[in-house]
Amino acid sequence: MTEQPVLAGRFRRLAATGIDAILVPAVTLVLVAATGVVEHAEDFRDNAWMLHVLLLAIGGYLLLNGYGLWRSGQTVGKWLCRIRIARAPFVEVSPGEAGEAGEPPVAPFWKLILIRAWFFPLLFVVVIPWLAWMPILDQGLIFTRKRRCLHDMLAGTVVLRVTRV
Amino acid sequence: MSLCLVLSGANVWAACEATNTVPGLQSTSAAGWGVDLQNTRYQPASALDSKNASRLNLKWVYGLSSETPRSLPLVTEDTIFVGDAGRGLIALERETGCERWVYPHEGYIASAIVPGRIGERAVLFFNDRITGLHAIDARDGALIWHAVVDDEPVPWYSGTPVVTDDTVFLPVASLEVGLAANPFYGCCTTSGGMAAFDISTGAKRWYLPTIEAPARVTGSHFGFVQKQGPSGAAVWGAPAYDPKRDWIFFGTGQNFSHPTTATSDAVFAVEAKSGKVVWIRQFTANDAYTAACNIKALNHPNCPEPTGPDVDFGAPVMLVKTQAGREMLIAGQKSAEVHAMDPQTGEVIWTTRLGRGGIIGGVHWGMAFYPTRGLLFVPISDKEVKGFPSPGTPAPGLYALDIETGAVVWHYQRESRCEDDACVFGLSAAITAANDVVVAGGMDGYLQVFEAGTGNVLWTDDTWREYESVNKIDTRGGAFDAHGPMLIDDLVIVNSGYGYVGRQRGGNALLVYQLGEAGPNETR
Repeated sequence: MTEQPVLAGRFRRLAATGIDAILVPAVTLVLVAATGVVEHAEDFRDNAWMLHVLLLAIGGYLLLNGYGLWRSGQTVGKWLCRIRIARAPFVEVSPGEAGEAGEPPVAPFWKLILIRAWFFPLLFVVVIPWLAWMPILDQGLIFTRKRRCLHDMLAGTVVLRVTRV
Repeated sequence: MSLCLVLSGANVWAACEATNTVPGLQSTSAAGWGVDLQNTRYQPASALDSKNASRLNLKWVYGLSSETPRSLPLVTEDTIFVGDAGRGLIALERETGCERWVYPHEGYIASAIVPGRIGERAVLFFNDRITGLHAIDARDGALIWHAVVDDEPVPWYSGTPVVTDDTVFLPVASLEVGLAANPFYGCCTTSGGMAAFDISTGAKRWYLPTIEAPARVTGSHFGFVQKQGPSGAAVWGAPAYDPKRDWIFFGTGQNFSHPTTATSDAVFAVEAKSGKVVWIRQFTANDAYTAACNIKALNHPNCPEPTGPDVDFGAPVMLVKTQAGREMLIAGQKSAEVHAMDPQTGEVIWTTRLGRGGIIGGVHWGMAFYPTRGLLFVPISDKEVKGFPSPGTPAPGLYALDIETGAVVWHYQRESRCEDDACVFGLSAAITAANDVVVAGGMDGYLQVFEAGTGNVLWTDDTWREYESVNKIDTRGGAFDAHGPMLIDDLVIVNSGYGYVGRQRGGNALLVYQLGEAGPNETR
């Protein structure tokens, strides 16, 4: 497989985000049901159940995306949309020049988890008026020329299109 | 009128800085939610009657923090104590509305403010829905003790406590009715109940669950989540205390899951000393229902099948004596039925159905009794909750019943303010009687005084508006619901606004009305 370092399209990135935003909660819900952390009255004596659900959500994210992120910088959504996360900076090229800059390496796994992944729950706070600006700002930067979201800049990553030659 | 209000509000605010912080505590307006320990909601200490009702004028308005207040105020000779959800227990100067002191409390105060005594110390009791029972020094707002029911994992303290000389009786519902809306919750295992606490220390004396049998697994859904039962039979309303027998009486709600029990939608008679059950009378069998049923379109797994009508006894039961000297225990149900029982045996004397009923009543929060004429006043909500059409024709309004027979003497009903859900006419809030009048607030924001014998409307105020409050915060009226009016001396004190259920209009106005002076040709 040879990858051409071309920035991922905005539509693909948004579609991948949308897919992840459905799959991760779905897996989390399965884990919540299977582990029974909110199944019994005793679970609600205090607020510990919230921490349990958060931990299961992190577990669900890693279960679903951990291997793909480590191996190729891809969540399930990104894999389906044929895009991947790479280490930045790389020499930005046009499609016609693709391949001349070599293959950008996969971003370090710890950065993908400890920096990028924190932004994932932001997608869900868009319903909270006073926090809505955060995900809008983060995702909105995808429409700049460099197509790097806030979480890309903080993690030193860029999202590229995967092309199989 | 508005100019007067603005001016008086400004004057009042200026005078607030000089407020004496120590309340007078010689007299109290009520024993709790039911006005007296028998829950008659008849106020003998009110000057309001059919001759002077037309002279009620707004005296001052206090803006609460919550748009869903649920705290019947307690009034002394110079102070009004009221619970304000999110802010705490507040002592207001009766004449001006200025604050004497605040007991800060972040939770939802969901009960009447109940007076009591620990030795010489005047005490105020209230419930927070989640954190339980609080005893506060009435002089300065200091916490004396705080108690919870640890017999249940998720108790919900919605009913007002009843206080006798040495004991505090605390109704217990359960959060499970709402937790069941979570499809991953294994509904349900908890029971409602009644608890008794030592008034001096807050130590628990006894706890009586309304379901004795432990829950067992009855099935599962999603492959993992276990269904359990029996459960429910929550106690939502204040008990009535019978000093002669030293018994308490209270009603229960529906079961949360199957199998159902003989103790749901029932009335209990219990020994006050020991918590031992004397008798139980069930009125609706096989009623299982949870909040999951409110999202029925999703075929929610925690909505029990078969689904019951959810016809709790939410309003406190009432112990009365008729003019013929007969004792009766009166229980109003969300089914819109009213039942009269012999308090000694629980035997049913009469039952009268007044409306269609439904999940927010029927009878919802409280009835009132007029002993002189032997009339029972019953407010009927009959509001339709979308997606849950109840069979039959709605018949909301105020009913007067002959206490001896249960026959309807008169019925008042009027058109809704508008067609929207928020404006529907119906009486959900508890009502209060005094002398020859009864005072009722509608879900559409109208407060009215009725002549007790005829049902004629003597006075009406539309509270669905903005107010200039003495504490200078945005203040507006809305639906009347929950605790209803407090009558004392020449005052009518009531909260306008309640946005909790039925898409009603919230509001935060604590309204204090006062009887004006009699005209030259009018006798007081």
